[in-house]
Amino acid sequence: MEEKTFTVSEINSDIRKKIQRDPNFKNILIKGEISNYSPSLRGHDYFTLKDEKSQIPAVLYKHQKDRFLKFKPENGMNVIIKGSIEVYHKGGKYQLKVATMTEDGVGNLHIAFEQLKKKLNKEGLFKKDHKKEIPTYPKTIGVITAPSGSVIKDIITTIKRRYPICRILLFPTLVQGDNASPQIIRQIRHTQNFDLDTLIIGRGGGSIEDLWPFNEEDVAREIYACKTPTISAVGHETDYTISDFVADLRAPTPTAAAELAVPELNELKNHIRQLTNNAKKSIFNKLSNNKLKFDAICKKSVLKNPENIYLHKEMNLDNLVNTLRFASKNIIKDNKTKLIQLENSYILKNPQYITKQKKEEYENKINKINHYSNEILRENKNKLFKLENSFILKNPNEIIKRKEKEYSKNYAKLEVLNPLLTLKRGYSIAKSKDKVISSAKDVKSGDELDIEFEDGTINTKVI
Amino acid sequence: MEDLSFEESLEKLEEIVNKLENGDIPLDEAIDEFDNAMHLVKTCNEKLNAAEESIAKIVEDNGDIIEFNSTNE
Repeated sequence: MEEKTFTVSEINSDIRKKIQRDPNFKNILIKGEISNYSPSLRGHDYFTLKDEKSQIPAVLYKHQKDRFLKFKPENGMNVIIKGSIEVYHKGGKYQLKVATMTEDGVGNLHIAFEQLKKKLNKEGLFKKDHKKEIPTYPKTIGVITAPSGSVIKDIITTIKRRYPICRILLFPTLVQGDNASPQIIRQIRHTQNFDLDTLIIGRGGGSIEDLWPFNEEDVAREIYACKTPTISAVGHETDYTISDFVADLRAPTPTAAAELAVPELNELKNHIRQLTNNAKKSIFNKLSNNKLKFDAICKKSVLKNPENIYLHKEMNLDNLVNTLRFASKNIIKDNKTKLIQLENSYILKNPQYITKQKKEEYENKINKINHYSNEILRENKNKLFKLENSFILKNPNEIIKRKEKEYSKNYAKLEVLNPLLTLKRGYSIAKSKDKVISSAKDVKSGDELDIEFEDGTINTKVI
Repeated sequence: MEDLSFEESLEKLEEIVNKLENGDIPLDEAIDEFDNAMHLVKTCNEKLNAAEESIAKIVEDNGDIIEFNSTNE
């Protein structure tokens, strides 16, 4: 039985395939210490990951590095790498291809940071409408930071340069280590006893562990509750802490915080100078415009020759006087004419004409009255004559005869209705206490009745 | 007007200058406003030129405020 002979290429190829297929070598976490860190010109980084007993070559390709790496890897750094084992076929070597890399021991802090950020964000501590405006022209600025180190120096230098009229009050505190956060909280509360316009809370750059007090929940809540507008300036430009999110304003550096806290005095003076110039220019323009208008008015002919005003009026007056004179002459003339007409009237010249007219009217009326009274007299004489000759007055006996005839006719009619005649025919009248009984219901047993006959009355009783 | 803060004075000054620049106000009023503006400029400048140089002070734990010299560490 002949044994198979492999070439070097074949065996390396087989090993590569086997390792590539094996899930135990894919996306695994490996921890170790970085050594021999050597960035290549093309941007890929090569290093060795080791522990006390062993080591493995590792490669960090540029595109991976750019995508996730948040820190600068250095020799001696303990890291946790997520990656896969790959075989370098040509050299017969295997190496660790890095996918992500975090500093060992701080990985937990990153998680804690993200969790707290999420929690406080959900609670609304980062909301814009809670953020207070930073005063533009502060009189006093409070600073919570370490009394030594560059932070307070940078802030003082910047404020003195830009806005030297501002007071600075330093509230010293530890800015790293376990005792830092309680001190920071105490100092934030302490600042509330002072009349501060703005409060800067800051520290310089450092590792995530160094900055950790500014990622503490208690510190964040104290900053949120602080009544003074706060500027957070923790670490370098790329470092973000929870304090940055919860403060009213985040500054990338302490110097930037001071710049945000105060205006530039010279700029401000220039601004006021500019305002002064603008005000002067405006009022000068206004005055010269008014002067021009005034001059223009002064040049008008009316003001130059004021006599024109009354000359004109005088002319008007003359016209009016003339009109008036003419008009009054006419009126007088008219009235004179009327007067002459009246004086020459017929009536005034012949007053006897009026009496003659009145006399005629009077005689007419007398004639009419005489005529009517004669008329009435004649009518009444006629009526009297007719009455004297009437039939009745001439034959009074005829009237008496006519009346007697009417009487005997009426008497015969009455005779028919006489009740005595009825009694004569056999009828009688029943009376009780002088009342005529016309119904059987009007009497009861024992009542006395008078019965009237034609020739007398009897008294009887009802049984 | 004497009690205005620097911020309020400056705001008022800007407002008046704006008004003057718009030019629609009567001359008498403009002159009054110009007087006001010059008065505000004076008070603003007085505040900005205040002799008091900014002095950094440190607030001790017991509440004492002492001068702070950042070179002494």
